[in-house]
Amino acid sequence: MSDKNNMTLNLKIWRQEGANVKGSIVDYRLEGVSPDMSFLEMLDLLNENLINQGQDPVAFDHDCREGICGMCSLMINGQAHGPERETTTCQLHMRKFKDGDTIVIEPWRAKAFPLHKDLMVDRSAFDDIMSAGGYVNVSTGNAQDANSILIGKDKAELAMDAASCIGCAACVASCKNASAMLFVSAKVSQLALLPQGQEEASTRVQNMVSKMDDLGFGNCTNEAECEAQCPKGIKISNISRMNREYLKASVTAHH
Amino acid sequence: MSKKIDGNVPQGPIEELWDKHRFKMKLVNPANKRKFKIIIVGTGLAGASAASTLAELGYEIDSFCIQDSPRRAHSIAAQGGINAAKNYPNDGDSVWRLFYDTVKGGDYRAREANVYRLAQVANNIIDQCAAQGVPFARDYGGTLANRSFGGAQVSRTFYARGQTGQQLLLGAYSSMMKEVNKGKIKVHTRQEMVELVLVDGKARGIITRNIITGEFEKHSGDAVLLCTGGYGNVYFLSTNAMTSNSSAAWKAYKKGAYFANPCYTQIHPTCIPVHGENQSKLTLMSESLRNDGRVWVPKAKADERKAADIPDEERDYYLERKYPSFGNLVPRDVASRNGKQAVDEGKGVGATKVAVFLDFRDAIKRDGLDTIKEKYGNLFDMYNRITDEDPYSVPMRIYPAVHYTMGGLWVDYHLQTSIPGCFCLGEANFSDHGANRLGASALMQGLADGYFVIPYTLGNYLVTEKPDQNKIDTDHPEFETSLKSAKDRFNKLLGINGGRSVDSFHKELGQYMWEYVGMARNEAGLKTGIKKIAELRAKFWKDVKVTGTNDGINIELEKANRVADFLELGELMARDALERPESCGGHFREESQTDENEALRQDDNFCHVAAWEYTGDNKEPNRNVEELDFPNVPLTQRSYK
Amino acid sequence: MASKLMKTLNSSIVKKQMMAVSGLMLCGFLVSHLIGNCLIYVGAEAFNTYAHTLITNPLIYLAEAILASLFLFHIGMGIRLTVENRKARPDRYFVKQHSGAGATFASATMPYTGLIILAFLIYHLINFKYGPYYTISHGGVEMRDLYRLLIEYFSAPLNVFIYIACMVALGIHLSHGFWSAFQSLGVDHPKYTPCIKLIAKLYAVAMTVGYSALPLYCYLAKGGY
Repeated sequence: MSDKNNMTLNLKIWRQEGANVKGSIVDYRLEGVSPDMSFLEMLDLLNENLINQGQDPVAFDHDCREGICGMCSLMINGQAHGPERETTTCQLHMRKFKDGDTIVIEPWRAKAFPLHKDLMVDRSAFDDIMSAGGYVNVSTGNAQDANSILIGKDKAELAMDAASCIGCAACVASCKNASAMLFVSAKVSQLALLPQGQEEASTRVQNMVSKMDDLGFGNCTNEAECEAQCPKGIKISNISRMNREYLKASVTAHH
Repeated sequence: MSKKIDGNVPQGPIEELWDKHRFKMKLVNPANKRKFKIIIVGTGLAGASAASTLAELGYEIDSFCIQDSPRRAHSIAAQGGINAAKNYPNDGDSVWRLFYDTVKGGDYRAREANVYRLAQVANNIIDQCAAQGVPFARDYGGTLANRSFGGAQVSRTFYARGQTGQQLLLGAYSSMMKEVNKGKIKVHTRQEMVELVLVDGKARGIITRNIITGEFEKHSGDAVLLCTGGYGNVYFLSTNAMTSNSSAAWKAYKKGAYFANPCYTQIHPTCIPVHGENQSKLTLMSESLRNDGRVWVPKAKADERKAADIPDEERDYYLERKYPSFGNLVPRDVASRNGKQAVDEGKGVGATKVAVFLDFRDAIKRDGLDTIKEKYGNLFDMYNRITDEDPYSVPMRIYPAVHYTMGGLWVDYHLQTSIPGCFCLGEANFSDHGANRLGASALMQGLADGYFVIPYTLGNYLVTEKPDQNKIDTDHPEFETSLKSAKDRFNKLLGINGGRSVDSFHKELGQYMWEYVGMARNEAGLKTGIKKIAELRAKFWKDVKVTGTNDGINIELEKANRVADFLELGELMARDALERPESCGGHFREESQTDENEALRQDDNFCHVAAWEYTGDNKEPNRNVEELDFPNVPLTQRSYK
Repeated sequence: MASKLMKTLNSSIVKKQMMAVSGLMLCGFLVSHLIGNCLIYVGAEAFNTYAHTLITNPLIYLAEAILASLFLFHIGMGIRLTVENRKARPDRYFVKQHSGAGATFASATMPYTGLIILAFLIYHLINFKYGPYYTISHGGVEMRDLYRLLIEYFSAPLNVFIYIACMVALGIHLSHGFWSAFQSLGVDHPKYTPCIKLIAKLYAVAMTVGYSALPLYCYLAKGGY
């Protein structure tokens, strides 16, 4: 509620000009931060200052700024999307920090996510995984009446829980192994829970996991740090379901 | 020079139009489809659904998006739901009723034939999405759940929690990914369209700028589909995403595509109010909150007391007072205007005094805290996160915000703009919502255009115009010309090296737009607005400061390019509002209101689409007119008393 | 066909499932080994006879081979996964913090507790299996006097301490590993998973306490021997 611009922050931000250049942490002091600002608005303010000083603004990814597009990222003080649970960086507000705080801001780091610039990374690996099988093979116009597929409320809710993944990759960023299992399992689970996804269930899980492995993500060691830092609260029970689906597919499928 | 233009609507009874027309339209031989390359700009509901469907049919698709993945287009942020006249609840819905409601809700400024087709295919959309695995809300028996939305008298809205847009977009996106896997779609991410390329008057390609490398790329094709969303960001603050912009549509406009009804903007009444100068965007709270929340302001001006200290007799529940039968559930435009009026009278609340209360005290008393928590828990949490106030104990503060633009590129019944081969789908076109969009209709329209309309009309164009017989590659001189003009523009922006940041211009433009072309407009204000915007534009081109170079990522340069276009579009919006002295839907001219301060249409003179035609920089554009007639839905005055 | 099989065996999920299966089998071994050890409390004859019966059964070679390969597989795969996982993030974070709701001390230290257990295992085999060969006759049968070896060995406080410290590491390893194995195999249920997690903790405590009690018993009860 307050409109006092009363915070001063010490920012330590990863600056890196491009993919093949060495980067480093650069210190900035930022004054006039209002507690009502979102974290990204705080960075906007920093950038406005940098531009006025003729310096290159910090590049970071963002778009909808309402926590749903999955574009924003940032490792804030060593946690994906910062210290608030189930909150994306764009929905994190500066009132969660104190005057005089030091905040370390880094990009997502993983072999599968090459860095573009500063805090921007390339997450197209997620699209690659999706294209390996994250869909139901149904062409437009083939559909039967929607109510002819009955799905119990509980199942629909579970599928929806998994489907609320925003693909931000906080799971990869927070996992000590840079594993993409939570992301992949969310999609595998959604479709495994629904009757629409059954026909391709075994090829889907095999192809998506195989693509994930090829892209250089790490393996899961069941630490659940991904679940804890997922802004949408996706559960690791999805990973378990994927493990089950994969086992089932490996044992039974013909390919 | 104003022309009469024609929407190419086929003749006949409206119920049969689309079916008969589909039969009449020409088909592309299955074996020939792969010879056509289609460029699709934008990957929201319209773009993604078009890309996947056309790829399934066999066309080669080049898809472009500004984000790092097609899945992030701003359709993803739609909360409420998607309408369809399935009549599953057996409450009297029908295609005709959906059609009727949409035409009436749009205040009779949409093309009847388009709206009817939309209502018809809406049912197929639900089937299609369910088949893709979209996890719609279900009832215990496993059938689809419906809810009533946006004041509709039937329950026709399908939804996936408060994330319907996300789920529908992910459905369309996954369908796209399926075609990417088959090699039918090539996705170009982090690319922004900076020019439309015409060859012999037909759209044959685009120039894009790669946001990562700064390189300009030439892409040629047999047709171009613009699915680039709305232009609400012209107001700087809106519920749109940060990169939502008008530039692609604006480039088409400047190459000859008409821009229709630019003044029709939808201002959503329940947004979280602005908190300070550094605010970058506004957050929408679902309209459903008005089902239980009561809107009020103190009766006294500049009342500094806390909400709880203001007794009931000193509160003005103005919506309930003015509209006894609809109360807090009046349509979006009415609720928004009344909120602004209260604030303008000095009765605003909160620290900034630019907000009204949305109070759940009585609902909590009546239904209990748990019931309210169950219904709105997520929204209350979101509000709490953003404002640091607890809406269970103090009333929410809300204020209207720009949310959707009904105007857009003019398209005919085939969704083709006035440039042959350039089609426009979804929010980017003007067609189906008239002067006001009803809740849960945007998702319906985007998907209808992409899944069920364009596959037919595009085929008809390709067979009729045969662009494949005149293969154009990117060495064509028109590509060189367009490429040069794009490069020149970016170099010019970089060369100004003035003293003000891009955002400061954008914010100033936003202030003018909100002040003069906002919720209530009048002649004097619009004239002032046009003047101020023109002056600001001139200043921009002299004094904007764009740091960095064109090599590699340069966010300021991207923004400058978009703001430069907004500075032109803003003026056209004001001009369109000025030239439409009636009130209709989201467009409220103070000069044209009923005795009860309601929007008053002037059907005798303005029952038409204004389709603006570019005539040159700093020249007055032509206002072309497409007459609208309403043989099926009789024109009536809306009333919510 | 073979390459497809290799692909499946090399997939991330199957690798962790193989970790899970080998781990659970080793858990089974721990239980049986502990039960056998408990014969210490009965007395020298019971314990030595039990050991003698085991050692003289020709199937012991097969059992030991299986056990050894289980251990080697579990260790080898563990090392391989750890190395692969590290490669997945070549550039480390400047600051990395746990959320407090996910990783635990046990989960974060699996490779280290694993290595401690490996070191202990070698040490354990050297001390006992390949340690001093005393003989004794029970009921007229000549057999190895492992009982004596144990009592002698655990009369040294340092040995007791090392042994118990290693058993604590084992407990930590198990407290994550046991549940983790079920998760990897896809056994997950809102009702049963909390039970499995509880059982994992109880199991880990039981193993640590059970295996630690033995040296303590030897030291305290028979230390003056």
